[in-house]
Amino acid sequence: MNESKTIATIRLAGELDIGRKREMRDALALSENARAVLLDLSDVTYADSTALTELLRFCAAAQGADMPIAILIAAPQFLRLVQYAGLATAFRIFQDRGDALHYLSECAGT
Amino acid sequence: MGASELRLCRPAQTRSVAPIRRALRAFLEALAFDGPALDDITTAAGEALANAAEHAYAQDTTRRRRDVELLARFERGELRVEVSDGGSFIERSPLPGRGFGLRIIRAIAYQIQIETSHGTCVRMLFPGPLSKS
Repeated sequence: MNESKTIATIRLAGELDIGRKREMRDALALSENARAVLLDLSDVTYADSTALTELLRFCAAAQGADMPIAILIAAPQFLRLVQYAGLATAFRIFQDRGDALHYLSECAGT
Repeated sequence: MGASELRLCRPAQTRSVAPIRRALRAFLEALAFDGPALDDITTAAGEALANAAEHAYAQDTTRRRRDVELLARFERGELRVEVSDGGSFIERSPLPGRGFGLRIIRAIAYQIQIETSHGTCVRMLFPGPLSKS
């Protein structure tokens, strides 16, 4: 996790499926030093419902800690997966990094 | 054009899911599936495979072989994908944070049947690529 100006970045790449459930859970941890998190999934090439479950778990923990989360997704498969699961309004998803950072800066008051 | 078929049987383990899914994708690409349809069919099959790997034998305390099988058959402009196992079927309600797999499959496949008489078989139907229909 890289942290600068109170916005932490968590990056995951490749295929996020059930075989990487433990890795996802370990990676998706809140940092006490951050006021917001950019979850950079722009290099994810495939995701399944296991990834969605882990994202929901992470976002619920972040909400409990009053920490805004922005999720950066590029793969059309991943974006459609979110729609098919009926979770379009459950996450703050961005396809542009600048937009995501702007949102987090606004939320974090930086 | 005759039927084209892919049949794979692997241990029902989470690490089996990605290789089977990739093999299915290569099979579909050879049949000229592409774009969103290629991704979506792979996604639906991946969900059924993941469900089998995670849940099918979760209550099984015997030492019998635990496999998951994928059958993909393209014939007469239609693709049938079946994911079967010898274990138990649990259709989870979409509780918060769980149970998205079947919802995703139902959003993608134009027909889905789930047979639970002998293990579980999830049968999904998809239209073929335009160039093959």
